[in-house]
Amino acid sequence: MAGLLTFAWMCIMTPRAVAQGTEGANFSSAKHVLLIFSEARDLPGNVMMEQSVRAEMLKNSTNRMEFFTESMDAARFPSPRHYRLFHDYIKNKYAGQSLDLVIMFMARDFMLARELPTALASNVPSIFVVVNDLDAPVLPGHQQYTGVFQRFDVQGTIQFIFHLQPETRRVVVLSGTSKADQAVLDRIADTSRSVDGVDFEFWTNRSMSEIYEDAKKLTAGTVILIGSMQRDVSGEPIYTSQVARMLAPAASVPVYVLGAGSVGSGALGGDVVDFDDLGVSAGKLAERVLAGTPTSQIPIEMKSNGVPMVDWRAMQRWHIKSSRLPAGSLVRYQPQSLWESHGDFIVLVGFGFLAQAITIAALLVQRGRQRRAEAEILKQRTELAHVARVSMMGQLASALTHELNQPLGAILRNAEAAEIYLQGDQPNLEEVRAILTDIRRDDKRAGNVIDRMRSLFKRQKLASGTLDLRDLVEDTMAMARPDAAQRQVRLKLEISPHLPPAQGDRVHVQQVLLNLILNGMDAMKTIPKSRRSLTVGLDKTANGNLQVTVSDCGTGVTPDDAVHIFEPFFSTKSNGMGMGLAISRTIMEAHGGEIWMKSNAMEGTTFTFILPPSGFDKVRPGDLPGLS
Amino acid sequence: MFIVDDDASFLRSVSRLLGAVGYSVEAFVCAQDFFARSAPERPGCVVADLQMPGINGLQLQEALLRSANPLPVIFLTGQGDIPTTVSAMRSGAEDFLTKRAPRDELLAAVERAMERDGRERQRRVRHLELSRRVAELSVREKEVLGHVVRGQMNKEIAADLKINVRTVKLHRTNITRKLNVQSVAELTRLADETGLFKTPPENRAV
Repeated sequence: MAGLLTFAWMCIMTPRAVAQGTEGANFSSAKHVLLIFSEARDLPGNVMMEQSVRAEMLKNSTNRMEFFTESMDAARFPSPRHYRLFHDYIKNKYAGQSLDLVIMFMARDFMLARELPTALASNVPSIFVVVNDLDAPVLPGHQQYTGVFQRFDVQGTIQFIFHLQPETRRVVVLSGTSKADQAVLDRIADTSRSVDGVDFEFWTNRSMSEIYEDAKKLTAGTVILIGSMQRDVSGEPIYTSQVARMLAPAASVPVYVLGAGSVGSGALGGDVVDFDDLGVSAGKLAERVLAGTPTSQIPIEMKSNGVPMVDWRAMQRWHIKSSRLPAGSLVRYQPQSLWESHGDFIVLVGFGFLAQAITIAALLVQRGRQRRAEAEILKQRTELAHVARVSMMGQLASALTHELNQPLGAILRNAEAAEIYLQGDQPNLEEVRAILTDIRRDDKRAGNVIDRMRSLFKRQKLASGTLDLRDLVEDTMAMARPDAAQRQVRLKLEISPHLPPAQGDRVHVQQVLLNLILNGMDAMKTIPKSRRSLTVGLDKTANGNLQVTVSDCGTGVTPDDAVHIFEPFFSTKSNGMGMGLAISRTIMEAHGGEIWMKSNAMEGTTFTFILPPSGFDKVRPGDLPGLS
Repeated sequence: MFIVDDDASFLRSVSRLLGAVGYSVEAFVCAQDFFARSAPERPGCVVADLQMPGINGLQLQEALLRSANPLPVIFLTGQGDIPTTVSAMRSGAEDFLTKRAPRDELLAAVERAMERDGRERQRRVRHLELSRRVAELSVREKEVLGHVVRGQMNKEIAADLKINVRTVKLHRTNITRKLNVQSVAELTRLADETGLFKTPPENRAV
């Protein structure tokens, strides 16, 4: 069942995952980011921060990200010699590597911040992620950084203790001896003075084994608070989370901590530093820097608030009710409820019921939607046909200019001549009158050219009506004639007498015919001029439909091409869009007509379309040629 | 002034205009008609439509250039595209105008064409006259003439033709008399102008 559900979930999720994958695959500009940890990389806090900073940076980035990671492990290798080695190592390793950003995670001190930049190219911006209570470093002449400085929420954690355990009368405070440890301890001591009626005890001069033994013997009403522990009383390096893991399970009282990295060790919790959240903040800063914001323009973010976080198992151990938790508390390590453990099964059953209901509803909706979709398709088809028509008129533009310039030129010359006639003493009024008659006639001629074109430029819905095809064919031929003259193609017209009217939309049928004529002329581009001739025929079919044929004697269509010739974007012409015939077929379908092509016996191709006679919305069957 | 255009209305209008400014105009609706009816040897120029069924403007010009009366041609066109323009100008069209070109441009073009025809015609007449006279020269005189127009001195000519210098002088006197010229300078100019002796006379059938 779970497998099934997972599969279903994957089906839903996959398209999104694919889309993200393609977005992220911008390999042209990879960003190189170096992450440097002052401590060991596998410390819980560092693991959390690294994961969340990477995840945050990858989440929104359109660039490919290349992460390099280094850790100095300063707690375990504190000697200055080690530091110099690390410095040189970084310097040599990244000498030839271009870096876009360095993120330094510092817990112990600011050595990295002070010294390391000299190991890297001077123009690499830096982000400091600091988790300690030390004062932010003053780095003279070092403006290339911004960062997040996270303080331990000492006050919040002490409040948290009394929230969960108001009966607490004694707090045992553990702390290390490093400078950073001391800074935290000072703040705990400060805070403790403001808490009345509670005894704060500072176990700062005991060895770890003593602490371990003493912690087992603490009595009710007491809690342990682990501050910062980087170095024990003997000066040995140690980690806070290590101390918590060792102490909490054995201690006779609850243990509170300041960092999320120690939650899960057996400690109860605290108002802790949330390393995931810190990583996200650092990641956001990193995004801004990588996007080009200078680090000097991004103020350093100071955080001092923790997140209330508890270990559910420790709550059970110490019988602490979840109602005691402050609002917004995060409960970790809670086992799953029935819903959580068998949720997929419940969902699946529910899904089945829902699917049934949806199917029924969908079937009802579909009918209406289909109707709307058809209307939409019709609208788009009309738009497309219009675009194709306008583009076709563009092809004719040169020829049409000629067609217009002829009468306009005649009008001009006549007017000039008339002016001269009228300048004489004895104007030849007879001649001027003849000129005016000519001018009027030429004006009408130019007007006709424009009228013929204008209807084709209009965007209009398909309006079927009674259609005089003879008139339509003659008009269309007139439109194509100047172009034919330029291309030296003879146009022939064969019309049968006594034809009944057809049913259709004038503009659209004209578009189909004009497209066929232009295609036919294109097909004759490479044959000798003397043989270029195109015949348009108009006739009635045996079944009473009206039939228009356009026959060229061009280069013909190969059988392979013939199969695809009415498909969109199929074109054999180098400058063809491949829409003309596809649109023609659509127009014919909308007319209840048909369009097809056939190779001529000798040379060239004949395109035929048939339209129903007036009053019919579909052609009468029987006129379509066989597949021969 | 000969006008050839298949568009009857435009033909009439141009004829009217050119007639009104004082040209004597003859109009033809096609090139065939023009060649059949226009008398050869008549001066003037042709205004022709470029796009005509049958013989088009360029073909008309080609035929005209090969004829005995190569009149200058001005093309008028509904729309001049670049390839056609280049082709027409290359084969020596006087001008190439659209049908709606300003009147002054058209008239200036006609004027230029007329002048050119006059010049060409004069040159052809002189050429014809000169070749007629050259035909009257003896074989030896033609030989001498060939050397003279190439600028050779009498001595050189005598040496080349292996004859006496005085005989050369005698031939030259006969040549200037027969060709009706005053000096060798005029002879050279004529030869240059008519292009008659561009190749050595011995290689040329006169």
